[in-house]
Amino acid sequence: MGEKKYWKSFVDLKSKTLSKALKQQEFSYETTQDFHLNQLDDISRRRFLALSAATVAIATTSCTNYRDKGSIVPYNKKPENVLPGKPSYYASTCTACSNHCGILIKTREGRPIKVDGNPDHPLSRGKICARGQASILNLYDPEKIKKPLKKEGEKFTEINWELAFSELLTNLNTASNNGKEIAIVTKPIYSPSLAKLMSEFQKKFPTTKIYSYEFLESYAKFNAWNKIYPNSEIPEYDFSSAKIVVSLESNFLANEGNFVKNIRQFSEKRNVDKLKDFNRLYSIEGDLSLTGANADYRIPLNPACHFEFLATVLNEMLTNNFNRIQNKNFPSKDVLFLVMSHNLEQFSNKTGIDKKIIKTLVDDLLNNQGSSIIVAGDSVQEDVHLLAFLVNEILGNTKVYKQKPKPSIPKSSLDDFVQLTKKIQNGQVGAILTLDCNPVFHFPKDFQIKQAIENVPFSCAFSEDINETTWHSKLILPINHNFESWGDFCDGYSFFSTIQPVIEPIFGTYQKEDVLFGLIEGKLSSNAFHKFLMNFWKEEVYPKSNSGVEFEQFWFGVLHDGVFPHEEQENLSFIPSYNFIYDWRPLAKESDWSLVIKKPYFVGDGKFLNNGWLLELPHPITKVTWDNYLAISENDAKSLNLQNGSIVRIEYNGKSFEAPVFIVPGIAKKTLIIEAGFGRKVVNIIGQNVGFNPVNILSKDDLEKGYILHNINISATGKNYKLASTVEHHSLNDTFIKDLHKERHIIQEGTVDEYKKGKLQIKRSKEHISIIPEIKYSGVKWAMVIDLNKCVGCGACVTACNVENNVPVVGKDQVLRDREMQWIRIDTYFSGTTDNPSLNLQPMLCQHCDDAPCENVCPVVATNHSPDGLNQMIYNRCVGTRYCSNNCPYKVRRFNFYDFRNHFANGYFYKDSLKLLNNPEVTVRSRGVMEKCTFCIQRITEVLFRSLANGRELKGTDVKTACQEACPANAIIFGDMHDKNSELYYWRNHKLGYFVLEELNIKPNVTYIAKLRNKKSKEDV
Amino acid sequence: MSTNFDYTIEPEVVEGQPKLRDINDAIAKPLETKPTWKYFIALGISTTLLLIGAICLGYSFYYGIGLWGNNQPIGWAIPIVNFVFWVGIGHAGTLISAILFLFRQRWRTGISRFAEAMTIFAVITAGLFPLIHTGRPWLAGYLFPLPNQHHLWVNFTSPLIWDVFAVSTYLTVSFVFLYIGLIPDLAMLRDRTQNKIKKLFYSIFSLGWRHSNRHWHHYEMIYLILAGFATPLVLSVHTIVSFDFAVSILPGWHTTIFPPYFVAGAVFSGFAMVQNVLIIIRKVFNLEHIITLDTLEKMNKVMLATGMMVGYSYGMEFFIAWYSGNPLETFVFVNRAIGNYAWAYWIMVSCNVIFTQLFWFKIIRRNIVVMFIIGVLVNVGMWFERFVIVVSTLSRDFLPTSWDYYKPTLVDIGILLGSFGLFFTLVILFIRNLPVVSISEVKAVVKGSQPSHH
Repeated sequence: MGEKKYWKSFVDLKSKTLSKALKQQEFSYETTQDFHLNQLDDISRRRFLALSAATVAIATTSCTNYRDKGSIVPYNKKPENVLPGKPSYYASTCTACSNHCGILIKTREGRPIKVDGNPDHPLSRGKICARGQASILNLYDPEKIKKPLKKEGEKFTEINWELAFSELLTNLNTASNNGKEIAIVTKPIYSPSLAKLMSEFQKKFPTTKIYSYEFLESYAKFNAWNKIYPNSEIPEYDFSSAKIVVSLESNFLANEGNFVKNIRQFSEKRNVDKLKDFNRLYSIEGDLSLTGANADYRIPLNPACHFEFLATVLNEMLTNNFNRIQNKNFPSKDVLFLVMSHNLEQFSNKTGIDKKIIKTLVDDLLNNQGSSIIVAGDSVQEDVHLLAFLVNEILGNTKVYKQKPKPSIPKSSLDDFVQLTKKIQNGQVGAILTLDCNPVFHFPKDFQIKQAIENVPFSCAFSEDINETTWHSKLILPINHNFESWGDFCDGYSFFSTIQPVIEPIFGTYQKEDVLFGLIEGKLSSNAFHKFLMNFWKEEVYPKSNSGVEFEQFWFGVLHDGVFPHEEQENLSFIPSYNFIYDWRPLAKESDWSLVIKKPYFVGDGKFLNNGWLLELPHPITKVTWDNYLAISENDAKSLNLQNGSIVRIEYNGKSFEAPVFIVPGIAKKTLIIEAGFGRKVVNIIGQNVGFNPVNILSKDDLEKGYILHNINISATGKNYKLASTVEHHSLNDTFIKDLHKERHIIQEGTVDEYKKGKLQIKRSKEHISIIPEIKYSGVKWAMVIDLNKCVGCGACVTACNVENNVPVVGKDQVLRDREMQWIRIDTYFSGTTDNPSLNLQPMLCQHCDDAPCENVCPVVATNHSPDGLNQMIYNRCVGTRYCSNNCPYKVRRFNFYDFRNHFANGYFYKDSLKLLNNPEVTVRSRGVMEKCTFCIQRITEVLFRSLANGRELKGTDVKTACQEACPANAIIFGDMHDKNSELYYWRNHKLGYFVLEELNIKPNVTYIAKLRNKKSKEDV
Repeated sequence: MSTNFDYTIEPEVVEGQPKLRDINDAIAKPLETKPTWKYFIALGISTTLLLIGAICLGYSFYYGIGLWGNNQPIGWAIPIVNFVFWVGIGHAGTLISAILFLFRQRWRTGISRFAEAMTIFAVITAGLFPLIHTGRPWLAGYLFPLPNQHHLWVNFTSPLIWDVFAVSTYLTVSFVFLYIGLIPDLAMLRDRTQNKIKKLFYSIFSLGWRHSNRHWHHYEMIYLILAGFATPLVLSVHTIVSFDFAVSILPGWHTTIFPPYFVAGAVFSGFAMVQNVLIIIRKVFNLEHIITLDTLEKMNKVMLATGMMVGYSYGMEFFIAWYSGNPLETFVFVNRAIGNYAWAYWIMVSCNVIFTQLFWFKIIRRNIVVMFIIGVLVNVGMWFERFVIVVSTLSRDFLPTSWDYYKPTLVDIGILLGSFGLFFTLVILFIRNLPVVSISEVKAVVKGSQPSHH
C-alpha cells in the first residue's frame, strides 16, 4: 500500500482517482494559479483598470467642493443627553386650552418634532387632542413676532428689548404713582407660581387688577350651579361611572370640558366584550354634534324647546314614577309645581317626538339612579342648566360629578369687564396689559374693548403673533411659545404638573413671566422666572411631598415625570339649596328661528386660526375645511331657497352678521348653528379670509344667558361663497345613492341586544379560489384593528399622522379641487332620514392589503410588498402615473399634484423655521409623487433596530403607530397578527370583526369591529 | 340594367380612365407647386393650436400637474382620454393598408397612403400623453426596461408596461409599412423633380429603386409580409390599451368586453377621421376621381358597422352588469346613464349610436356635407366615450366618501387643443411633402392597367 487513504463516505472510498485528484486540488488550476498579485507585471490588465478607476474616482471627487453644498457642523462638544438620531422626550404641560393635558415632547437633535400625551398624567393619561398635536406648528410659525413693536402714529416700528422694557416699566410706574389702575387681562390662570408672581406684582404695583376670562365661557352654567349649590366649585363629569348619559346640546366628546378624558371614559364603557357595562347615550340637540353622531338615541330638537323637554322628563318621573325615585329629600311638591304644565302628550304633539323614546329615557334614568347623568352643553341657557342640575340631584347623580380644575386666580365676571371699560372711559386706568389673549376679538363689540384699549394711556400686548388686540395696543412684546417656557399647573386639588422649555426661544423672545418678574425686579433677564418657579416649588410644593430627598432631586424628578400628585383630595359633597325654585323666572321659550353659537372643534378661541393643520382638519360631521358656516336643515334651506354656500344675513336685536349656510342633515327645524372662533381680521397669512365671526351679534345679557339666541331674523343676500368640503354631499332623499355604505357592507352595525342574543350576523366573504399562489408570511406581520364602538371621530389621529409623517397642508383652493393630503381620514356616513339621520364614523387609511391592487399596476414597482406585510412606497422610484390610486378601492393614496409646501401660502412651509418641524425619519415628498399611510414604518424600523441591538426578538406590541398613540379612545390597535397572545390577534379574530370590501379578495389588513348601538328595543333600530 | 346587375363585377376604383402620366401629375402636383396662402393659413391655425398646447405643457412641467383638473379619486382624466382617443384614431390606417390589402379590397388604394400616414401622426400624438401625464415626466425613462446599476426593473404585470411595448411596436411597424410603400413613389418623384435638394432627398430615401422587375418582385413580397405582420397589431394595440382599464379592479373598468369593444371603437373613430380629412384633401387637390365618392361611401359603411358594434357593446355592458348580479357594477352603469356624468354619456350615445344610423340611407352615405358632419360627431362621440369610461368610473367607485366630481381646467383644454394642433400640423406638412395617395398602387388599379388578353 502506498499512501494512506482517508475517506469520508462510501462513495468517496470507491471513487476513482479523478475525484481524489480533484480533492487535493480543491480549485481548478486556472482559478488560482494564474493570479498572484506579486507575480503580475508592472502594468497588468487588472492594475491598469484599477489605476484608471482610481484616477477617475479621484478626479471626480476632487473636482467638486463638498463645502459648496452647505456647511456641516459636527458636534465639537457633544451636548449632554443628545445622541444624533435618537429622540429625547421631555414631559411638559400643554397650554393650548385650559384643560392642561400632560404632554411628552419628542425632540430630535434639540428640536421638538412631535407632541404626545404623558401617560403619567392623571387626566389625559397619555393622550392629547388634535389641537395639542398641532400646536407644535405654532412654535415654528415663521410669522411670529420677533422683536418688540412700538406703535408710532398708525405704524408699528421694531425696537429692541431694552427700550421696550424700559418703556413698559416707566409707564407702569407712572400709572402706579398716579394711582391709576393697571389692568392685566389674561386667560384663566391655572399656574400657582404665576398666581404667586401676580401677587408679587400687585405688591410692587398696588393698583394692579387682574381680569381673567375664557372665550365662550358658559356663564349661564356657572350661575345655575351657584343657584343650586351656592359656594361650591362647578364640577365636571366622570363618564366612567355613568351608564346612562343624556346630552342636551352638549358636545362633551369634542370640545366641552376635558374632552380627551371624556372620550376615554366614555369609550371605556363601549367595550363589546363587556356588554353589561355598555353605556347608553341620548343626545337631544339642535345641532348635529360629534356627540350626537355617537349617540344611541339622537333627538333633533329646536333649542327653544330644551327646557320643555327636561321639564317633561321631570314631570314624567314625578307624576308617573314617583315611587321609583330613591331620593326622598327634595321638595317634590314644589318641583312638581314647577314642571306640572309640561306633560308628555302635549310635548310629543308639539315637537313630534315619539313618546316611547322619552318614556325609555325616563325609565333608563330611573333604573340607573346614581349612575346616570344629564349633561347640558356650554351654549345652553341658564334655566336648562338649572333643571339639568336639579334632575341630577333628584336622581342622586351627584356621584358622577368630579372636581374640575380650579383656576389659581378666580375668573372675573362679565361685570368686571363692563367696569373695566367704564373705568377706562373715566380715565381711571393708567395701563392695560393683555397677557397672551385676544379680548378685542373674543368680546362682542358691545363691550367696546377695542375702544378701551385704544383710549387707555398705555397698552401693552404680550403675544406670540399679531392679532386684533396687538393691532390696537401701543406696545407689543413677543413672548415664548409654551415649548420655550417654564411654568406649572395645578388643578387646585390633587396634582401639579410642570412646563419646561425644550428649545431655546427660536426668535429671541422672552416668556411673559420673565417680563413680569423683570418689572418687579426692575431689570429684564431671561432666566428669572425659572429661578422664581424653583423657589416657589421649594417653598410651597416640596414640603407637601414629605419625601426624604433633597429639593434638587425632587425637582428633577418632577420635571422628569411631568406631574406631581399629592394627597389632598377633598371629599366632594354637594349640598343643594332649593331656594331658586321659589323665584324661578322662566326665560322666553317661543322662538321662530334660533341661532346657537358653539365652540369650534379645532381652532379653540381663534388663536389656532394660524395653524394650517387644524384649519385643514375636516369638520367631524360635514368635512368642511378652512371655514365655519351656518348649519341649516335641508327642509329649512329649501324653504328659504338656499344652497350650500349661499350667504345669509342674520339679524338680532339690531345687530347682524353674514355667513354662508351649509346643509347638514339632522339639524333641528328652524335652527341655525355656527361655530365661533373664526373670522379673524388681524392674523397671519394662514388665517386670512378664514371663516366668519358671529360673536359681535351677542350682547352682555346674551353672554350671561347662554349662547342660544331666539327669534333671530334670517334673510338671503343672494351672494355665494365656496365652502371646501373634502367629501361630496348627497341628499338623504336621493334613493339612488342612499345607504350604499350599508349595501356594500362598508359599515356593518347592530344593536347590543341583537349581539347578546347571537342574532347579529356580520357579513364576511368566503375564501376565494385564487390562481395565484398564496404568499406565505413567516415572522412578524403587521395588522391593525379599529374598534368602531370606541372611535368617536375626534380627529386626533389625523393630526398626529400629519405631524409624524410630514404631511403637507394644501390650502383651501386645493381642498376645493379634492386634493387634500391626509393619510388617514374619518369617513362619515349618513343613513336614515334627512331630519333624523343616523351616523357612522369610520377611520379610513391604507389597508395594507396582502394582494394589494395598487401593487400590480405600478409600472415601475414603486409600490410593493414587504416581507412583514406592509404595502410600501418608494418615493424615489415613483414617476406618478397615479394608476395605483385609481386601482385602490379605498382611495387612500395621496398624490402631490404640486410641491404643496411651495404652492401653499407663498411657500409658507419653506420658510426657514418651519424646516425644523419635519420629522427627520420621514422623507419630505416632492412634487409628482404618490404617498400614503406606511403604518409608521419609521417607528417599526426603530423598534426593529433596537431589538436587534439588544438581541431580542421583535415584538408586535412594542410598536405604536402615531394614530394609535394619539387615539384618546384607544380605538386603534396595532401589532403582529401572528402573535397569538397579543391584543391584536384577539380582536382580529373577534366575532364582530370585518374587513371593508372583503369580497374584492384583496385581503386587507385593517379589521373593523362592527358598531353596536345600545338601543333598548328592536323597533328602535 | 338595374334588373340584372352583376355583383361580381367590381365598380371601377378610379373614375374615368386617366393616363398614367395624369395620375403622376395629379398626385405630385402639391409637391411640385408653391403652396397658396390658404395652405399657410391652415398651417398657421394648426401651429397656433400646437403652440397653445406647448405653452400649457410648459406650465404643467414647471408648476406641476396640479394645473390640471385631476383630483384624488380621479387620477386619470383628459390626458388619458386623449391618449386612448388618439391611439384609436391611429387604427384606421393599418386596418386600411394591411387588413384590406390582405382581403384584396382594391378601393383602399386611394386612401391607404393617407390613412397610414395619419396612423403615424396619431400614434405620435397619443404616445406623448403617457409620458406627459405622469407626475414626474422627466423620469419617463423608468417606464422602459433599461438595464441600470440599481438593478431596478419594470413591473411586467402592469398594463402600462404592456402599453409601452404595444404602442412602440405599433408605431415602428406602421412606420416601416408606410416607408416601404413610399419607396416606388419616391423613386418616381426623384425622376420627376428638377430641384437638386429634393432630388438628393428623394434619391437617398428611394434606396436606389429603378422600377425593375426584380425590385417589384421583392417589393410585393415584403409588402405582403408586412401586411401580415401589421394585421394582428391592429387588434393587439387597442386590446392592450383596453387592458389599462380591464386589468384594474374598478367596476366599470374591469370587464372582459373591453378589448373587442375598444378595437371596434378605434376603427370607428379612425375611419371617421380619415373620411373627414380626405374629404378636404380630395376637394383641395382635385383628387375627386382618385378618392372617389364610392370609396367614401364604403368608408361610411364601415363606420355604420363599427358604430353598431360599439352600440352593441354599450348595451351589453348594461346587460352584463345586471346579469352578473354585482351591485357595484350595476351601480356604475346606471350611474353613467343617470348620474353625475349623464350629460357626457348621452353625448356619447347620441353621437356614436344614434346619428350613425343615418348611414343606412344611401343618399346620406353619398352626401359629402352630411357625412362630414356625422364624421365629426363620431369623433366627438368617441372622445366622450373615453371620457365616460375614464372619468365617470373613477368619480364614483367603491366608497361613497371618496367620490368627487372632475372639471377640466383651461390647461387641460389647452393640451387637448395642442394635441389636435400637433396632429394637423404633421398632416399639413405631410400633404405638401409626400404623395398623399399611393401613386404606384393607384396606377395598378386604373382601368386598363391590368394585364389582359387583347
